[in-house]
Amino acid sequence: MPKLRHLVLRRKAVQNIRKITRTMELIATARFKRALDRAVEAEAYTRKIAELAADLSSAALPASSGAAPAALRHPLLEKREPVRSSLLLVICSNRGLCGGYNTNILRVASDRMQHYQQAGIQLHLELSGKRAIAYFRYHGIPSEAQYTHFEDKPRFEEVEVLANRYLEGYLGRRFDQVEVAYMKFLSASRQTPVVETLLPLSTIAPPLRRTTQPGQVSPATTTTLPSRADLVPVEYEFLPDPRSILEELLPMSLKVRLFKCFLDAAVSEQIARRIAMKQATDNATEMIRLITRQYNRARQANITKEILEVISGAEALK
Amino acid sequence: MPHERLHCLVITPERTVVDERADFIALPLYDGELGVLPGRAPLVGRLGFGELRLRRGEEWRYYYVDGGFVQIKHDTVTLLTARAIPANELDARSLEAELAQAPPPAVTTEARQRQQAQRERQRAMLRIARKLTA
Repeated sequence: MPKLRHLVLRRKAVQNIRKITRTMELIATARFKRALDRAVEAEAYTRKIAELAADLSSAALPASSGAAPAALRHPLLEKREPVRSSLLLVICSNRGLCGGYNTNILRVASDRMQHYQQAGIQLHLELSGKRAIAYFRYHGIPSEAQYTHFEDKPRFEEVEVLANRYLEGYLGRRFDQVEVAYMKFLSASRQTPVVETLLPLSTIAPPLRRTTQPGQVSPATTTTLPSRADLVPVEYEFLPDPRSILEELLPMSLKVRLFKCFLDAAVSEQIARRIAMKQATDNATEMIRLITRQYNRARQANITKEILEVISGAEALK
Repeated sequence: MPHERLHCLVITPERTVVDERADFIALPLYDGELGVLPGRAPLVGRLGFGELRLRRGEEWRYYYVDGGFVQIKHDTVTLLTARAIPANELDARSLEAELAQAPPPAVTTEARQRQQAQRERQRAMLRIARKLTA
């Protein structure tokens, strides 16, 4: 009965695979929770910076009310026209088995690069994650920097190094804008690949989570200041003065924004992996069911065949 | 107002490091130290690097903070800083060893300045670390 044994072996193999994918699903779930906790904890800083920026800009620019931040002049806020060269940072994962996560990011990144090419913008490409590195190596597109040390727990100090380099390059006019392609985390059931403009800064305060609209290219334009009904204007004492504090705030705002990108990417990756592994587990379960049915059928057929042989043998003896 | 207390928050981009009540807070501003008692007028300021001290009753707590901003409002002191390290996590010996080493030669003035700032920071950390052991 070679067919039967073959089925048994196959079923065993699928069962083993299911065990692995289920474990990976559980690991991804645990990591996702941790990554999300980190992202939520980091939110406190963003919120506070936004509050501070609002207080400061109303104090630094008392003449113009409402859209006060626009009046502030700072090299980090100025849009450069035309954009001659641009830096694109692509954040992917180091490991695979996470469904369409990397593919989706690489797709928007490639679209963006095509757009650069048509507009005649010089590209400085930086990559994070082995998947991105492998992809661009395969396509023969050179990159200027590659990082593989950002895992599911990106640390602020590590991100700060990148941010400082971008600030330096931007102020030194090595590139006219900085963009990041990554998977934006909108909710536990929704993530979208986006290309976001990091520099020039469109607003002083970093945007808060869950307030930006999903979109293909969403330049972070929404100034989301904490809506406080009880916000009574407080007369602050400023040391040294509002304007210089505000200018100090801008680089920090950029760093936090970049850090948030990495946090988002980490959370999204774990979600993508969890979903992919859940599907794999479900598929394996379905396959085991099918193989078991096939096996039972084959066994039954064999038994029937044997009975028939016995009966026909007995008939022949009569 | 003897019963009023300050609420101290130290927030880094990664997490909230300190969230507690205190009677007195001393924090490093960009040009010197600032002591805060309950009932202080609202303030926004730039932080320098150095020692953050919290007093609660007779108990003192020390942290090292590395730049950022401070906001004081309604007896809530919020420090936004890139790094905040509790004093007991600073290792005096390794800091000493690092400081004892001659720095690599700096080529540009800028690199030199950065190096000096780095050493100043390390010295500040060391001071806090020593204080605890003393």
